[in-house]
This record gives sequence, C-alpha cells and structure tokens, in this order.
Amino acid sequence: MSTRSPSTPSGPPARSHATARSAALPAQVARTRAGEPATFLEAVAEALWEEMERDERVFLIGEDIGAYGGAFKVTRGFLDRFGPSRVVDTPISEGGFTGAAAGAAHMGLRPVVEMQFMDFVSPAYDVLTNYVATSRYRGAGPLPIVVRGPVGGGNRGGPFHSQNVEMAFFHTPGLKIVYPSNPRDAKGLLKSAIRDDDPVIFEEHKGLYRAPHCRETLPREDYAIPLGKARTALEGHDLTIVTYGLMVHHCLAAAQELAKEGVRAEVVDLRTLLPLDEEAIAESVKKTGKLLIVHEDTRTGGIAGEIAMRINERSFEWLDGPILRVTAIDSPVPYSGRLEDYFLPSPDDVVAASRYLVEY
Amino acid sequence: MTLDAETAEDLLYQGFQARFLEGGVRELVSSGDLSSEYADFQIDSRSIAIAQAMRSRTDGRGDACAPGPSAPGPALAFGATPLEFLRCAAQKGTTPAAARVGGRSWTDLRRALFGWGGPRGIMTQVMAGAALAFQQRREDRAALVFEDSRAVETGAWHEGMSLAGAASVPLIAVLVSGPTVADDGRGVAGVTEVAANYGASVERIGADPLDRVLQTVRDARRQVVAGAGPLLIELAPPADDRWAGQEELTSWAAAGGLSSSRLEAVRNAAKAGVDHAVARLRKEPEPRGRDALSPVTADAAPTPPWTRRDPPRPGDLPSAGAGADAGPMPWDAAPTP
Repeated sequence: MSTRSPSTPSGPPARSHATARSAALPAQVARTRAGEPATFLEAVAEALWEEMERDERVFLIGEDIGAYGGAFKVTRGFLDRFGPSRVVDTPISEGGFTGAAAGAAHMGLRPVVEMQFMDFVSPAYDVLTNYVATSRYRGAGPLPIVVRGPVGGGNRGGPFHSQNVEMAFFHTPGLKIVYPSNPRDAKGLLKSAIRDDDPVIFEEHKGLYRAPHCRETLPREDYAIPLGKARTALEGHDLTIVTYGLMVHHCLAAAQELAKEGVRAEVVDLRTLLPLDEEAIAESVKKTGKLLIVHEDTRTGGIAGEIAMRINERSFEWLDGPILRVTAIDSPVPYSGRLEDYFLPSPDDVVAASRYLVEY
Repeated sequence: MTLDAETAEDLLYQGFQARFLEGGVRELVSSGDLSSEYADFQIDSRSIAIAQAMRSRTDGRGDACAPGPSAPGPALAFGATPLEFLRCAAQKGTTPAAARVGGRSWTDLRRALFGWGGPRGIMTQVMAGAALAFQQRREDRAALVFEDSRAVETGAWHEGMSLAGAASVPLIAVLVSGPTVADDGRGVAGVTEVAANYGASVERIGADPLDRVLQTVRDARRQVVAGAGPLLIELAPPADDRWAGQEELTSWAAAGGLSSSRLEAVRNAAKAGVDHAVARLRKEPEPRGRDALSPVTADAAPTPPWTRRDPPRPGDLPSAGAGADAGPMPWDAAPTP
C-alpha cells in the first residue's frame, strides 16, 4: 500500500476562496427594485438572484460564471454577493458539472447549471438522459436541477452557437422544458423551474436577451408562473398560431400584418414545451378550426409534428384545414448572415402560411 | 493487528454474509431463479472493508456510497441486506423501483446509497457533486464511488475527477482493477499518473490485510473531509481467495477480542440471514405490468398509448397524468383465447 497524500488540516474545510460578502446590487438585478423596465437577460438575472436570496440551497454551477460573470454576464456580481461555494466556477466539462449538480441535488441542494451556449449541452446529454431524467423512475426520488442557457439563431453565431436544443430532450421522459418569450415570463418561469422538484431544461433566446422592444416593468412582488401552462399572447378567431420563444414576436408581427387584411389570428405562447399544454392548444383550435405551428427549430422532428399528432388524436373533428408548420430548414445553422436569414423562419413566412390556411 | 470489538464483529459479519451470499447466488442460478449472468458472482471483501471505513448512517446524514461494480459488498457495509440485493438481481416487484431498474445496485438515499445510473464515469461525476454538497455545508461527510478501471478510458470519469480536484471535494474514488487499454500499450497512463493530474492522492490496495485497508481508508477519509482534495484508490486484482480463510478470521476475532464461540455465533447469524433471504426470494412477487407507470416527474405518471386501449371517442382521451389512476388496463385482464 502506498500513500502520497497532502498534509492534513483539521476539521471540515470551507472552500479555499474568499467567502461571500455584501456588495452593491449588480445593475442587471437592480432594474425592478429601481422601478425600471428590465430586459429579458435582466429578468433572468433577477430570478436567479432572488431565488438565491430566498433559498440558501440554490447555487449556480458552470463555466466562467464567477469572476467573469458568465458568457453573457447574467451572473456578474453574483460571486461577490454569494461567494464561491454558491457560484461555482468549473473546468470546461459540461458533463462533469451537470453530473455533479445531480449529486448535489440528491444531497438536498438545488443547483442551477449554466451552459455558456446551449449548443454545449450535448456533452451533458449522457448524464441528463441516462441519470437525471430517470431519477424518479429508478426510485432515486426527485432531482431538482435547472439547466439553463442561451439558444437560438440570428446572431451570426454559426452552427455551434445558434442551436435550439429542445427536441434533443423532448423525447426523454422525466425532463421538463421551458422556453419563455418575454422578461416577465422568463423571471416567473425560472423561479418556478428552480422551485420545481424535477429537472428542467430552461432555454433563453439570445435574440431576446437585450432586445429593446422586450423591455418591460416587472412586478415588484415575488411571483412565479406555473410550468405547463400556455398563455394566449393575442386573441383571434380565424386561425391559431402556436409558437414559443423568439418566434412569439415574429408571430405577433405577422398577426399585425394579417389584421390589416381583416384576419384575426390567435397566438398561443406555449411557454413550457414539457409538459405540453395540450388543453390550451385544443381549446384554441376548437375556436378557430385552423392550426399553424411556428418554431425556430429545424423542421424534421420539431415539436410541430408532436402537436399536430396530438390535435389529430383529440380534435380532428374541429379542424377545417390541414395543420401547417413554419420552421427553420433542415440544416445546421449557417454562419453567413445571408444564409442564416434564409435558414430562419421570418414573419413573412408566417403571414404567407396563415393566408394559405385561412383561405383553405 | 488490533481492531476494536465492534469493528471486528461488523467486518466478520459482513464478510461471512458476502461468502454465504456468493453461495446463495450460485444456488439460485442453478435453480433458475437468477439469470446465468450471476454464475461467476463474487464479492471482493476489500470493497467491504473500504466501505466499512466510511461513516454510514441510515438517516440520510452519513457518507454517500455508489457501490458500482463492487456491489453488493459496499452496500452491505452501508446497511443493505442480502435480500435487498437478491430482489434487485432477480427483478422482483418488491425492489425499491419495482424492477424498473435493478441489477446489482439500487438507490436508497436514506442510507446514501447511489445505484448505477448510466455508462462508466457518470457515477464519479454524480458523487463528486454529492461531495460538493457536503463541502458547501461544511459537513463531516464524504462520498465514495466504485468504478471499474475501464472508467479511466471515458471522458465522463475524467470530467468528474477534474471537477473533484479543482474544487477539492471530499471524494474517494475507487478504481477496481481489470484490464484497460494501458495494459496492451494502446492508451492511458497508470492510475497514479492520472491522479496526479487532478491533484488527487493515491492509494494502491493489493493483498493488504483487511484491517490495514480499513485503517488506511479511515485515515484517507479524514484527510478528504479536511480539505486535502479527492483520493483515488486503485484496488488491484484480488487474490484467488477473496475473503479471508478460517485462520485469518480467527486471528481477526482474536484481534477484536472476540471468543471462538462469538466468532461461530457471528458466522451462524450471517448464514441464517442469507439462507432466509434465498428462501424468501423465491416467494417474492414479480412486478406487475402497470408498475411501469411509475411517475417520471412530479406531475404525472405516463399515460398508456391510446392504441393499447379500447379505441377512444374523440375528446375522450385521458389527460396526461391520469395513467396511474386510470383503473385496470387491458393487459391486466385474462388474455382472450
């Protein structure tokens, strides 16, 4: 037996870094307290901050989230306030720190894992699908983990910084998937995700992070928005457009155009993809008889197929036309701006599909 | 060699349990009650000693252990019973997860036992996280994980160790030696060299006496809890006789101050427990088909696909989550001739 051990200090240690200390409120979490409108990114940061203040079991883990403040600066200033034991910088090892989050969750903590870009969640696919998602099923009980990060195209990030990852996980029982479209929902849904006892994939579209038109004044009081409940973003009666994330804004823009032609589109913002609010979709379809599904994700295997099948199963008699979809094309996300614009669905695409469906 | 009486008796009891359990498994394989995959089932007694050196509890506040390929040895040391192991191995409906998972290990968080949950390396990641939680709360707790040595060929294992080293978490990672690509010169360096990259201390346990193993891991546990960083144990291939012979057991009992009659009593108690488990296993019920409908999230058990039910009328489908309480399923009824 051979031993090469460091010398032994006595007693359980604290982390070897500086401990938490009070600090001025970082700007990105101070908007609502100051009565100012918040961006989508600030809403996310506020949710994290407030949940960490509310519940000491909540901690953050990910790459460069501490001193650097995260790739998009969502967590800037968190290290000073909460210290290194609750803002854990990790090696570049998405699988490793997601697996570690699972172990910490088993032991009573509530980790929030940040992916610098959700494209990089793929190394953690193994642990998320094999271990995390099966926790209840294996008799290992609840596993309260949130895996959050930026998704989506339009920022000229190319194939490795622009993906939408929801459907990579949609097929895995045991996970929940949230994809908000506005700051109010982002904050309320993220709080619910953190408080939820199941693992949640939380997608944040980069195109919404700092979008000026998305700024809104958020409630000062603590609020949470339940997972699994869609919202009607716009009421109408001529067709139903089901969508989520950034595409909600494209669909609302399209609905404005359609309104000029006298077409009243109802826009349903899913908010949560798993569990899917099938009831809300069906109710809207019963009203309009026409269904268009819009997602930024690629076409084949996109959520439109699943929604169409569910409506076919339960609401076929209510349909007055085919179910259509507007999506990205089936290719990796291109790098060139010109190519990416062609690749992504646009409001004009939504208008064209809506016209076809209304006239059907 | 010195052992306190309680430790000596615990080790002896678990050692006897392991030996008799090996025999019980062979019997069950012969009778067809267990799959032939267990025909060569053996328990490395050193894995029991390693786990015995940890601070196991049954209230969810003790050290954590992922027995991995060494199960059920470490599980026995963490308070599991032979019957629990046999239920999982035989896929009985009485397992904690109603045979939805099973095999050699299962999860019981009251005992801080973590069942197998994915490919090699995953459990090292998970246990690094459990250790991170202990460290954050400044608890006198450590995590122990067993992987087979081929885990070092996976990225998952290295990511787990990388994180454990970077955060100096109280993790003891055991690699149970077997062939690796290093053995034929294709790949990785030895475990010692690997460990150095992660700032981990290293122990190599070979044919050491079990009391020595016990003491070494106890010392190591104190070190990792104190912040010395993770420890990597290479559990070298065992000798043919994986459990001590009668002579050594007798010397153990003597070291612990146990009389020969006490030694015999411990032996008989362990044998009676395993005999009972083997006999009981044959009476244990199989899982029912609908046990597959266990909740997979807090909200809902899965709904059986409607195509497996009587064809529903439109709008008549059960909402998600109704599955577990939806009454008898078609497959519960007797088959149509």
